Amino acid sequence: MVKMSLDPVQVMSGQVTELKVAPSSNGDSRGSWEEKEEFDQDHLGLTAKPKPVTGRRARKVEGGVFFPKPENAVTIAVSSRVLFRTEREQKVFEQKGVEEYLRYQIEHENEPFAPGPAFPFVKALEAVNSRLRELYPQSEELFDIVLVTYNHAHVGIRLINTINHHNLFIERFCMTGGSSPIGYLKAWHTNLYLSADADKVREALAEGIAAATMFMPEKLTEVSQSQLRVAFDGDAVLFSDESERIFKAHGLDKFFEHERENEDTLLDHGPLKGFLEALGKLQKKFYAKGHRLDCPIRTFLVTARSAASSGIRALKTLRAWGLEIDEALFLAGAPKGPMLEKIRPHIYFDDQMFHVEGAAEMGTIAAHVPYGIAQKHNAKQNTGVRK
Amino acid sequence: MVSTVQNTDVKQKESDHAVVVAVASRAVFEPEAQGGDNVYAEGVAFPLLQALQKVNERLLEENSAESLLFDIVLITTDSQQQQQSSHLISSTKHYGLEVSRFCFSTEEDFIESLLQNNVQLFLSTDRNEVSQTSQKGVLSALLDEYTTSCPSEQLRVLFCRDAVIRPDTNPTPASRQAAQSFSAQLGKMRQRFGMSDSPLSIALMTSCGGRDSCGGALRTLRSLGISVDEAYCLAGSPRGPILSVLRPHFVLSDCFSGLED
Repeated sequence: MVKMSLDPVQVMSGQVTELKVAPSSNGDSRGSWEEKEEFDQDHLGLTAKPKPVTGRRARKVEGGVFFPKPENAVTIAVSSRVLFRTEREQKVFEQKGVEEYLRYQIEHENEPFAPGPAFPFVKALEAVNSRLRELYPQSEELFDIVLVTYNHAHVGIRLINTINHHNLFIERFCMTGGSSPIGYLKAWHTNLYLSADADKVREALAEGIAAATMFMPEKLTEVSQSQLRVAFDGDAVLFSDESERIFKAHGLDKFFEHERENEDTLLDHGPLKGFLEALGKLQKKFYAKGHRLDCPIRTFLVTARSAASSGIRALKTLRAWGLEIDEALFLAGAPKGPMLEKIRPHIYFDDQMFHVEGAAEMGTIAAHVPYGIAQKHNAKQNTGVRK
Repeated sequence: MVSTVQNTDVKQKESDHAVVVAVASRAVFEPEAQGGDNVYAEGVAFPLLQALQKVNERLLEENSAESLLFDIVLITTDSQQQQQSSHLISSTKHYGLEVSRFCFSTEEDFIESLLQNNVQLFLSTDRNEVSQTSQKGVLSALLDEYTTSCPSEQLRVLFCRDAVIRPDTNPTPASRQAAQSFSAQLGKMRQRFGMSDSPLSIALMTSCGGRDSCGGALRTLRSLGISVDEAYCLAGSPRGPILSVLRPHFVLSDCFSGLED
């Protein structure tokens, strides 16, 4: 998990003692990692003594840390199928099998993939990193984007070419060649995992890693290039699904009654609470330097709860958790699509496919969190007034 | 003094085409522990041997006339084990291990026995042995206690870029050549199987460089005829947690030394 503090000096004296980060110019910061003798346990007799990388074109780094330690950074793991558009290749795989799929990939190695649903989100993360580096050049508290795919390494060169083509800042990846990536997600202290594969996402959630399935919307509304905007549903995403269970089992009236009676009892946490927390900690770093009004991270709660009644419990819970959310939108059962269309988040997390699809129809990039009681119900079912 | 004993239970491999892998017997069997019938207990390299055998088994399934097989030799330099050479041989037979030959030598001339037997890869738990062997131009890799938790159904080989096994020495041109030729043969073996359900899996890991460093390594391996199944670019993240998920039987790094990005 991410352990953070506002004071950048504390980062240096805490977990990062061995790392001497030179306040350096573009591309040179890698030198600081070369001073470090050993990163971790001496596994299989290997000692990490990196050779200096020579003759390499300097990549634009706005000072300081190039490769943050996974536990210090907010690690976002994305699969290749959501970062890029790979529908054609998927079809080859499904229709002609894995051998033909890999041959096709190698044949088209120099053709970069087009951006996928997670692409704008990743670009926005990089924009935030740029601002963070300006303000805290020595800090490792950044977004670290890792490409985690169970693709075969044959596709590796094409993926690297694509990353280069789009000028993305992704230096870490793991291609597992078919085995489950879950172990690697844990090894990298992953804060959020985005994939096209619902089974892998469920596996990650079961391991306590925030995860969501992403889909390509038919049309994409334009999103901000300079501010990361993340929207969350409340129940079964930020909070547990306890209230939804009441609603599904006993109906709307019982739900309202239950929420009123338990107004002062905190809701239990949901799978994305940790990620909101990580965003909040980065936000505070901007506030500390006087950037509250133009903070490049903005968070939204988009819930079917009502402001005057059931919403109160949600707000009290967030407050008790010490989490600030920038805008809370209580829809009291109104459709979410139009509201999301106005907000234009880079990503919207919801536990119900009904809402994910509704959002996508209006051009919002929505991600499904397959968690809680809603998964047992038909996604397209009209669940009535409440949602 | 070097002596070689053939294992009569096992069909000898064609010397021109087989890939000779020598494993230190102290890694395969626990010299102290003994089961009943004077049979040694399994050592850390046991799953490794089983995995090597699995590859052979599957190679022969694909082509019963296959000659590109692993030829496994047990090397014993430990004088205590030498005295119990009959136990070594009987233990090997007891477990049905596909060991073709047993080599017995002293510490001083074990490298000679490796060269005599045309060994292309030497595996041992002894750091000094591995270091000396590499100096003499024989590809070698260190086994450790993690090897014991590796699978026995699939041989997992890791090519690691930008890590130096022996900080005090640099790989010699001879050992680099040995690394490349072994790796090329490994690559050929891998080609005998399909993408999924292969008894041999080849992984690449780059520890410190970024994605271009890994891309370069993938291209280098491809030029040696090695297609990689798994690739991990760590860019400075700690190696331990990744390795414990990866679970390679052994790690090779000499292929890359001296090659540019």
